[in-house]
Amino acid sequence: MASPLLLAAAGEVGGDFFRERDVGDLCQAQPGHLFCWDWAKENIDRFGTPTVQHLQIVIPAILIGFAAAFALALLAHRIRWLQPPLLAATGILYTIPSIAFFFLLLPLTGLGRDTAIIVLAAYTLQIIFRNTILGLNNVPASVKDAARGMGFTSRQILWKVELPLAVPEIIAGLRVAVVSTIAIATLAVLISAGGLGTEMYGSNLNFPTAIIIAGAIVILMAFALDSILLLIQRLTTPWRRVSQA
Amino acid sequence: MPSGDSVTDASQPAASSVRYEETTKQYPGASSPAVDKLTLEIPAGEICVLVGPSGCGKTTAMRMVNRTVEITSGDVLVGDRSVRDREPAQLRREIGYVIQQIGLFPHRTISENIGAVPQLLGWKKERIRERSAELLELIGLDPELGDRYPAQLSGGQQQRVGVARALAADPLVMLMDEPFGAIDPINRERLQNEFLRLQAEIRKTVLFVTHDIDEAIKMGDRIAVMREGGRVEQYATPAELLMAPANEFVEDFVGADRALKRLALMRVGDINLWEAPLAYVGQATSEVRRKLAAPDVEIPYPLLVDSERRPLGWLSERDLGADVVPQRPDSPLGPVLERDDVMRDALADLLQGESQYAPVVDHKGRIDGVLSVEIISEFLASPEAKSDEHPAVERPHG
Repeated sequence: MASPLLLAAAGEVGGDFFRERDVGDLCQAQPGHLFCWDWAKENIDRFGTPTVQHLQIVIPAILIGFAAAFALALLAHRIRWLQPPLLAATGILYTIPSIAFFFLLLPLTGLGRDTAIIVLAAYTLQIIFRNTILGLNNVPASVKDAARGMGFTSRQILWKVELPLAVPEIIAGLRVAVVSTIAIATLAVLISAGGLGTEMYGSNLNFPTAIIIAGAIVILMAFALDSILLLIQRLTTPWRRVSQA
Repeated sequence: MPSGDSVTDASQPAASSVRYEETTKQYPGASSPAVDKLTLEIPAGEICVLVGPSGCGKTTAMRMVNRTVEITSGDVLVGDRSVRDREPAQLRREIGYVIQQIGLFPHRTISENIGAVPQLLGWKKERIRERSAELLELIGLDPELGDRYPAQLSGGQQQRVGVARALAADPLVMLMDEPFGAIDPINRERLQNEFLRLQAEIRKTVLFVTHDIDEAIKMGDRIAVMREGGRVEQYATPAELLMAPANEFVEDFVGADRALKRLALMRVGDINLWEAPLAYVGQATSEVRRKLAAPDVEIPYPLLVDSERRPLGWLSERDLGADVVPQRPDSPLGPVLERDDVMRDALADLLQGESQYAPVVDHKGRIDGVLSVEIISEFLASPEAKSDEHPAVERPHG
């Protein structure tokens, strides 16, 4: 839960953030009641837009983060000495607290979705970069030696041998990145980027029903995207599932 | 990129000679060259084994042929072309490459692994598929295994695929770096035999690296014994190497048991066998006794054979006590050898069977002669064993 100080700092966010939640007469009789089905039924529509907004932050962030981390990993695979400094640099980005990161970028990129996408993309760099390098380094030397000795060019070794074999590690990194990005994206509301956070950091803290629904959507979204990635991994690595001789 | 169709049809053996010309590899920072002015010629279609202790530069020497190790000075010619003038990836597609760790692509099926070089050469899919199937058959693997992944195969099967993959585009030369070194002894022997059989058909020029002198003797048409710096101490046929080591280094490397090792190069039929005194079922024992008494008979027991002259067993004194030769002999037959058996294995059979004599039969199972431990030990002691005139020098697969 965001602190009051931060909420004040984000005061410009305005109406969206401090919107009054129309609880009406439903559930009024039981203060502290955890979940109000009647309210949920009547208000489920209001989660549609935040869900779409959430995806509009998460998906570009993942795609940009993946593209950048992947390119850096290929570079560091070729130029070995770049690996430690790039690992350190992406590691430092990863340690910046998310709220601080958002507000640090405000003077540069202002409020809104772009800032949120930049921050979230930056967070994915470390895990995707590290796992891609790990996957490439795990390719057995004998397999690369055989490929080279048979007449594969360096580029063919990378694209036809090393990367296909690194897919499990790359996707494992991507899955962690996706789940954490979906979770951190709930803070995007602090810089007016919308998303499911709008339903979580609302005004009425005594009425958790909206928070529970928004949280459930976040979990479902993470589960769905994770499942898609798992499916992609299964389809692209059939050799991993064969029974051993 | 040249069309893959220019590669010779698999039914017509194509091989190139390989010539080292003062080939040198100096690694940066090393005090002396890994390979120093190596000069060696390997005729087309022969297996040349580079053998020597670890660190002698044999693998470096081999790898300079396909430029997986760059030549510092000197040259290597494949056919009449210098490898230094070739684009490395193109060159390597014409040279089969088999390594100890096999290095199959775990993410590709067996058929795809075999078709890797043809794919690089741009062969049509249909042709690659046909070639993969053909090679699976050639190496004696069930065609159904083509759709499996390498992890589903045993080590021995994987290395068979490794050999098939190296042969796929019908290379002019094969480089084999300790190809059977990581395989258990039983399967190693089997793979060696299979490869020799295959080589008798395909007649490739093979550079075969090993540190195992027994393997070198078994596989090589010629053997180059190397020591540090890639210096060739002797380059000779296996028989020459065993009979006349050029110097102390080679003698030590070949081992004190080199006379015994020569037996591995011989077949039972290569040696003069003894004639067995034969006895037929129902024959009068007096007749058999007369045979035994003949002056040139070396074996004191008659060998019982059936009407087709197939051996049944040895007759004892007690058997001969009757009037006629009995149907069942007193002593069991023990080991039976064939003319094509390797002499070393025959000796092992004799020793293991605790018998002094073993009947040798032809391909129809008919008696041809008798081999004894005595014949072998006399052969090893005779000057004949030390000369080059004996047919033993013929290659087993020749």
